[in-house]
Amino acid sequence: MMADRTPLMQFRNVDTHYGPVHVLKDVSLEIYSGEIVCLLGGNASGKTTTLKTVLGMVIPSGGDILLDGEVITTWSTSERVRRGLSMVPENRRLFKRMTVKENLEIGAFLREDREELAADMERIFDLFPRVKERLNQKAGTLSGGEQQMVAVGRAMMARPKVLLMDEPSMGLAPVLVAQNFEIIQQINAAGTTVFVVEQNANMALSIADRGYVLQTGSIVLSDTAQNLLVNPEMRAAYLGEVE
Amino acid sequence: MTTATWRDAVRWGALGGLIVVFIATIGMAESFDARKVIDPFLSLGYLSLLWVPMALGYRVSHRVVLEGTAPTPPGARDIALGAITGTVVAVILCGYILLIDAYNLREVLVNVTPTLGHYLTKGVGLPGGLAFVLGVGVALGAAGGALHLVPGRPRSLGLRVVLWILVIGLVELLFGSILREMGLKRIDSFLFNLDRTIPWYSAVAIGLAVVVPSVLLRGRAQAVRARFNTMPASGRRRVGFALAAAAVAFGMIVPVNFGPLLNEVLATVGLFMLMGLGLNIVVGYAGLLDLGYVAFFAVGAYSAAILTSSAAPMFTPELAFFAAVPFVILIAALAGLVVGTPVIRMRGDYLAIVTLAFGEIARLVFQADWLKEAFGGAQGIRVDPARIRTMFGYVLAGVGLIALIIGLLRWWAARSLARERGDLDSRSAAGAVVAVLGAAALAIGLAFPSFATWTARGIDTEQIFRFVLVFVAIAAFVSWRLESSRVGRAWMALREDEHVAEAMGINVVTAKLTAFVTGAVLAAFGGALFAIKIGTIYPSSFRIVQSIIILVIVIVGGMGSLRGVALGALVLIGVLGGPTQPGLLREFEGYKLLIYGVLLIAMMLKRPEGLLPAARRTRELHQEEFLQDAWIKAKADEMAEGA
Repeated sequence: MMADRTPLMQFRNVDTHYGPVHVLKDVSLEIYSGEIVCLLGGNASGKTTTLKTVLGMVIPSGGDILLDGEVITTWSTSERVRRGLSMVPENRRLFKRMTVKENLEIGAFLREDREELAADMERIFDLFPRVKERLNQKAGTLSGGEQQMVAVGRAMMARPKVLLMDEPSMGLAPVLVAQNFEIIQQINAAGTTVFVVEQNANMALSIADRGYVLQTGSIVLSDTAQNLLVNPEMRAAYLGEVE
Repeated sequence: MTTATWRDAVRWGALGGLIVVFIATIGMAESFDARKVIDPFLSLGYLSLLWVPMALGYRVSHRVVLEGTAPTPPGARDIALGAITGTVVAVILCGYILLIDAYNLREVLVNVTPTLGHYLTKGVGLPGGLAFVLGVGVALGAAGGALHLVPGRPRSLGLRVVLWILVIGLVELLFGSILREMGLKRIDSFLFNLDRTIPWYSAVAIGLAVVVPSVLLRGRAQAVRARFNTMPASGRRRVGFALAAAAVAFGMIVPVNFGPLLNEVLATVGLFMLMGLGLNIVVGYAGLLDLGYVAFFAVGAYSAAILTSSAAPMFTPELAFFAAVPFVILIAALAGLVVGTPVIRMRGDYLAIVTLAFGEIARLVFQADWLKEAFGGAQGIRVDPARIRTMFGYVLAGVGLIALIIGLLRWWAARSLARERGDLDSRSAAGAVVAVLGAAALAIGLAFPSFATWTARGIDTEQIFRFVLVFVAIAAFVSWRLESSRVGRAWMALREDEHVAEAMGINVVTAKLTAFVTGAVLAAFGGALFAIKIGTIYPSSFRIVQSIIILVIVIVGGMGSLRGVALGALVLIGVLGGPTQPGLLREFEGYKLLIYGVLLIAMMLKRPEGLLPAARRTRELHQEEFLQDAWIKAKADEMAEGA
C-alpha cells in the first residue's frame, strides 16, 4: 500500500556475521515515515543484532542499509545518531547514577542546536509530567515505569526520525508494559516513526501498523499487523495457540 | 537494631590482640619509641599500641542507627563491654610476651628481639609486667567504652584536642619551621623541647588553644558552612574557585621560606598532586583503570631531560626548559595515543592488567642496554641545571598569545551566534576582553623579554616548589573545566554504561583516547618537573609502586574530586612521603607501603567514596544504603498507617 513511497529506513538484503556465525540472513525490511513497525522473534532469532546493525554497532557483511534513501551501511554510530536514529535500549539501561536531567542531556549529546534543547525538554515533560518532577533525582532511584519514560525521553532528545525500541516489554510488570505501549503510540502520534523489536507479539501487534517475523536470522513473515494477528501460522508459532 | 554482646566484645578484642601483636612483631612499636609525642609520658611507639584497646573498646558498642529507629541509650553496659574488649587484647598480648620469653623467635622474625618483651611491659619485667599490661588494657578498653557516655559535643571537642596534639607532635617539622620562619622563635621553643618533642605543659596549652576558641565561636563555623551549603551550585563553585586561587596566590607571593626540607616535601606533594589530577581524569572521570600511569611520568621526565640536557647520550638539542615543554606535551600525547589505541577496546580488569604491563615495559625500554645510546641505560641522564633558566617575558608572551587566540575564537563564535539571533550577549564581550588582555600580555612580554629571569636548580627547593605549584594550578583548572564540559559528560556516560553511551552517539574510542591523552600530558608535566627537581633521572625512579601510589592518592582522596585528590596528596605524600622521597614522618619510612595498603583497604571498606568525595560519587556508592533506609522508612510509615 505504501510501495510507491521511498521508505524512511530500509534493509536491503542484509547479511550479518559474528565471526563464522551467520546471524542475519538476507534480511530486507522497509519502514515508512509515520509508521509503527514491529520486528517479532523468539530468543536468538537475531532481533538485537538487527538493531545493532541499524545503529552501526555491527557492520553487515553484505547488503545495504538506507536512511531516507541514502546508503548508510558504512557510517559510524555517531553519524547515524546525528542523522536521525536513536535507540531505547533493552531493560532501559539509564545512566543510573546520573540525574534524570543529565540522562536527557546525554541523549542530545550530538545536537548542535543547543538553544532548542530546553524547548525539546519541555516537549518531553508534556509527554511525561512525572519526568519533570524527578528531574534532579538520580535515575537509579526511579521506579521501573518512570525509568522507561526517562529512557524514551533520552532517546527523543536526539530528535530521531526513527525511534528504535529494543524489547520495551522486557522486565516490566504487565501494567507497565501496557503503559509502555501507550507511550509508543503517543510518540508516534506526535510524529515520530517507531521501530519496535519485541518478543511479546500480541502486545506489539496491537499497536503496530505492520510487522515482520524473524526466525533464526531470516524474515519468515511480513504483513500488516491485523493480518499477522489472525495469521494461523503466526498464532501457532508466537501466540502460543496450538490448534 | 542489634545490641552488642560479650561475644562481640571478645571478637573485637581478639582482632585488637592480633593488631597489637602484629605491630609489635614487625618492629614498629620499638623503632618508633625514639619519637616522643608528649614528653615524658607517651612515645609514638607506645601510641602505636595503646590506641588499639581504646578504639576497639569504643567500637564494640557502636550503634547502627537506621532511619526511624532509636538507639539504645548509653550506660554502664558500654563500659563493661569496652573493658572486656581491652582485657582480651591485653590477654593476647600477655600470651605473646610469654611466648617470646620462652622461645627465641628471632631466627624467623628479625624484629622479635630480647628487648621487645621488656619494652612491651614498659620495663617492669615478667610477672609484674603482665599485670601491668592487663591493667592498662582493661583501663583503656573501659575508657573507650565510656566515650559513649560523653555527650556529642564534648566528645568531638576532646577528640579534636587529641588530634591536634598528635598532629603537632608528629609533624613538628612543619609547625616548627613555619614558626621559626615567621620569627616566632619563642612560641617554637615553648612548644617543643630541644629534641623536638612536646613537653606535657605545651600539650595542655595546645588543648586550651583548641577548646577556648571553639567554645567562644560556638556555632559560627556551622553557620558559615550552612550558608555555603545553601548557596546555589554556581555560587559554591565560584567560592571554591576563589579559595583555590587565593591559596595558589598565597603560595606564590608570600615570601615565607619554609626551609629546605619542608620545601622539598611540598614540592614532592605538588608533583604527586599533579599526577593525581592527571590520573583522576583517566580513572575518576572516564573510569578507565590505568595501572601503568608511571609510563607517562617516565616519558615526560626522559623527554624533558633529553631535550634540555647537554649530557644526553645521543640527541642534544639543549633547549631551554620552557621551550622544551611544548615538545614534552607533544611526545606525551603521542605516547598516550600509542598506548591507548591498542588497549582501548578492553575494559575493567583486562585494561588494568595490560596497562600494568605497559608501565613495566616503559621502564624496561628506558633501562635496556640496546637503547643505552638513546636513554643512557641504568645510569640515566643528567639534567643540565643551566637549561632550566627561563625568562618570564617569553612565558608571558606565550600565555598572552594563547589568550589572544582563545579570546578571538570565543568572540567570533559568540558574535556569529548573536548575529543569528539579533542580540549581542555577554559572551562575545568576555571573549573580546580576553583577547585584548592576551594581546597586551603578548606585547609586554615581547617588549621586555627578560624582565624576570628565573633560574631553578635542583638544590633551590623553594623555586622548584613554586614552579610545581604553578603547574598544579594549571592542571586543577583544566580538570575543573573538563569536568563540566561536553567531553566530561561523555566520560561520565562512558563510565556508567559504555554500550549505551555508544548507542547515544558518543564516540567511545575518541572519548577514551582523549582521557588517556589528557592524563598522559599531565603525568608528563609531572615527569618534566621531576627531572629538573631531582637533577638526574634513571629508570629505577619509574617503578610500578609509583603508579600504585598515585592511584592510592586518587582513591583515598576521592575519585573524581579535585579537592579530594589535593587532600590525598597532602596527607599521603606530605606525611608519609613518596615511594622514594621523604615525608614529614621519617619514622614511617620503612612502613610506608604497609600503611598505604592498610589505608587503601580501610577506605574501600568504610568510605569508598574517598575523604573529600565528589558529590556524584557519594550518591553512587551509598545508593544501596540510601535505598535501604528509604525502604525501611516506607515500611515503618506503612505500618504506622495500618495501626
